[in-house]
Amino acid sequence: MGDPGDKWLNLIEASALEKGDVTAVDIKDYKLAVYDTFDGIFVTDARCTHAGANLCDGYFDGHHIECPLHQGLFDCKTGEAKAAPVVKALKVYEARVADGLVQIKLA
Amino acid sequence: MTENVLTPVTQALQEGALSRAELKQLMRRSNRPGLLRLLFWVLLLVATSAIIYLSIGSWFLLPAMFIHGVVLVHHFSLQHECCHYTAFKTRWLNDVVGNICGLIIMLPNRFFRYEHCDHHTYTQLVGKDTEMIELPDTMAGYFLYLSSYPYWKSKIAEMWRHTAGRLTPEDKRFVPREEYKTIILEARLMTLFYSVVLLLSIVFQTWALVWYWILPVILGEPVMRAIRMTEHVGRPMVRDMKANTRSNHVSIPMRFLCWNMNYHAEHHYAASVPFYALPSLNQKLKGYIYTEPRGYVGAHIDIVSQLIGSKPRADVIDISEDDEPVRFKI
Repeated sequence: MGDPGDKWLNLIEASALEKGDVTAVDIKDYKLAVYDTFDGIFVTDARCTHAGANLCDGYFDGHHIECPLHQGLFDCKTGEAKAAPVVKALKVYEARVADGLVQIKLA
Repeated sequence: MTENVLTPVTQALQEGALSRAELKQLMRRSNRPGLLRLLFWVLLLVATSAIIYLSIGSWFLLPAMFIHGVVLVHHFSLQHECCHYTAFKTRWLNDVVGNICGLIIMLPNRFFRYEHCDHHTYTQLVGKDTEMIELPDTMAGYFLYLSSYPYWKSKIAEMWRHTAGRLTPEDKRFVPREEYKTIILEARLMTLFYSVVLLLSIVFQTWALVWYWILPVILGEPVMRAIRMTEHVGRPMVRDMKANTRSNHVSIPMRFLCWNMNYHAEHHYAASVPFYALPSLNQKLKGYIYTEPRGYVGAHIDIVSQLIGSKPRADVIDISEDDEPVRFKI
């Protein structure tokens, strides 16, 4: 689970996530998108790198998140920009579930 | 630009016009409705082409070409849906169909996607909305726009420019630098395609290209221009989507032709909602958005009323009682 010195930020109870979908989490200065996928929980920035729309209001197919404004596409696991008009990758946070809480590792 | 923006769908969720659960339900994708409609679409094209074939040599040839042309120009509606990836669940299918539509109506699919993205970001904002159709000054301007002459002039110039490898500063405002080459390549491939088709027509000495494609598209385009005008022209030039976009109640055949894009305000609110779910979204947003109950005709009555002075123009605002009204100009 990483070094004991690592700092982890609690985001949300895993049971509160929208199953198989994306859940918005606003905490401190972070606006995050938490994805519940078959391969586990993934966390990215919630804002599209193209025009700043809230990705949590977009269509999620279980792997890709689609921007609700222009339908640009990101891989939620790697943050990779997959389709126009997005060209810049999304920031992905290292995430885990500990004691029933979704956490991200702080840099 | 990565600052936080309040998109229409986020605004609608925050204002309670729509719940998240409803939005998620409406955004669900399927290939079936799009493929089914595409099947009927192709059958319709076969039927209208057959009408032209049967009319050759008779007085009905021109009306037949117009009818076929009205269907042809509505490839714009299908291409528009594909450009939002909401015609089909399978993304590449949207790209393939969108490009075919683009070839039919001479609208480069990739370039249109970027241009249209900006239209969604800056809908009805003067100087920013890349697809803004200006409220004409006069009735003459209104009919000139409907003739489609300015549209074709602009599109042919754009195609020529991109084929020659040039992008304007305006193009570069919404096309990312990484995509300049793609846009130029797209235009060159389209020009090559048209050149080959023209060459084959000359070699095989056939006029089919003219009777079944070029003339029908030219005859039908004014109908598409008239429909495009109903979407935003004459609506307030403000950011608020509740005001700046007009939805239209239209007949079932028109809804079929335009792939439900008469629900235009609904589409702008939630562009990830596929065409077949727009009637349901219309029910959810009833009273929240602006709808023209008299349909396309009503929208044009509204536009013409503003031109002849029986209604205030949407592009003029009073900033205070003391000042002259300000006129927005593109």
